[in-house]
Amino acid sequence: MLTKRQNLLETIRGGNPDRFVNQYEAFVCQDTIFGMILGDPVQAASTYPVPGGQATVNAWGVTIAWPEGMPGPFPVHDDKHKVLKDITKWEKVVKAPKLDYPQKEWDKFIPGVKAIDRNEVFAIAFIAPGVFEQLHYLMGMDDCLINFYEEPEAMKELIEYISDWEVGYAKLLCKNFHPDAVFHHDDWGSHNSSFISPQMFEEFILPAYKKIYGYYKTHGVELIVHHSDSYAANLVPFMIEMGIDIWQGCVTTNNVPELVKKYGGKISFMGDMDNGVLDREDWSREVVAREVRRACETNGKFYYIPCLTMGGPGSTYPGVYEAVSEEIDKMSKEMF
Amino acid sequence: MSKLEEVKTQVIAGKTKLVPGLVQEALDGGSSPNEILQSMIDGMKVVGDRFSAGEIFVPEMLIAAKAMKKGVEVLEPHLAGEAAASLGTCIIGTVKGDLHDIGKNLVSLMIGSTGFTMVDLGVDVPSSRFIDAIKENENVKLVACSGLLTTTMQAMRETVKTLKNSGLTGFKVIVGGAPITPGFAAEIGADAYAPDAGAAAEKAKEIVAAI
Repeated sequence: MLTKRQNLLETIRGGNPDRFVNQYEAFVCQDTIFGMILGDPVQAASTYPVPGGQATVNAWGVTIAWPEGMPGPFPVHDDKHKVLKDITKWEKVVKAPKLDYPQKEWDKFIPGVKAIDRNEVFAIAFIAPGVFEQLHYLMGMDDCLINFYEEPEAMKELIEYISDWEVGYAKLLCKNFHPDAVFHHDDWGSHNSSFISPQMFEEFILPAYKKIYGYYKTHGVELIVHHSDSYAANLVPFMIEMGIDIWQGCVTTNNVPELVKKYGGKISFMGDMDNGVLDREDWSREVVAREVRRACETNGKFYYIPCLTMGGPGSTYPGVYEAVSEEIDKMSKEMF
Repeated sequence: MSKLEEVKTQVIAGKTKLVPGLVQEALDGGSSPNEILQSMIDGMKVVGDRFSAGEIFVPEMLIAAKAMKKGVEVLEPHLAGEAAASLGTCIIGTVKGDLHDIGKNLVSLMIGSTGFTMVDLGVDVPSSRFIDAIKENENVKLVACSGLLTTTMQAMRETVKTLKNSGLTGFKVIVGGAPITPGFAAEIGADAYAPDAGAAAEKAKEIVAAI
């Protein structure tokens, strides 16, 4: 029997997997909230809200709230809390978190990373928010999207500033942790469309990620897993160009089986099970089994990983993630 | 191309710097304020249709709405002298427990562009606040509820139920958001469902016309 890591590589390379990769199984490598490498001095210096707790201000100055009952945190963008109100003044306002920590601060986290069984799973670093998310965290979504039109040069400058910071962070992660993979969040669309056109994406976002993911790929990272739980089928060629190996979070509106057929071998797809359908207060085993069967049968054994579209192992409603995993195991027995 | 056609075309193109001047030229040329307003509304209808068809994206819709807003600012002093063609007041908000605002803002822009007076309650809005807003504002014809999370579908249900059982009349309820389906909308008693902002604007006009 292949290890979880070997089985994933066989799946995305079109080799000989012996079962479906079961959701995040190959990425759960540490005892953290998402099961991935999360602790380091840079992240430790920022603050994060807890569900239902007080809003906090992160290292970029963005106020983040996590109201009770919400599945995740949210930036606050009222007039009082918005960090960047005028994009042309970004250089005066936006201050990236510091990266220069003494080595002894990194050393505290290294034993935990060294303990990962890299034959069994990937040592994978969790990174969020991404470049596009950082833009709208700082200025709000409406301003962000309008600024692509009205202040394109200032936006490009800010994107370069953010992506240079990310590369600086990537250097430290690679030097200290030598991750095999990165799991990088950046939501690029809504349920039905990408937030921006492919042309705009190519002009503004693609260069930033070619730089960031390019750095990881040339410094020992074998696998880039990008999370965007949205429609983004129109951006897949750019995902391939920037070096993404697995797009996690692809919702059903993308017609994932068609994407697998069209792009399999160049990129793999992890998702096609919408949380909006499965992860509900009134969830049922019957619906879970039906959706898992549909996804496994229509996408097939290669270049596809059955998974909820949520951006980490787990579900909003207790039991859903585990039920999906059990049904995937059943499909593995049936199809392999 | 007539001046009114030019106004419409530049609204569609989102030319925020050009539209105010064109509106002024149309006024100077003898077009009535309501004719000019209608040309901008027609332009936004095209924008909504193109968005629904996946031909344009959110920035293009936002920039077109901004261009129309700049044009309306030029028109406003002149519109005061004419009978404004308001379709009524629309109360809009994202239901309690949900902080998503992009979809709600787009729907607000598009419904507003058809001639409704918009009252935006923001996000995380309890059902009681929707009720208060109906009482506080005149001529409320439409209440639009947005929700993006499966966790807030029950808040959507509760909001619609509260609105329908409030004893208040004269308005319709439209709902939307990623997890909402036409079936769910019907099940919770909403009058209409729209899958996106462009469709919401069309649906809004349709159901309010039937009041």
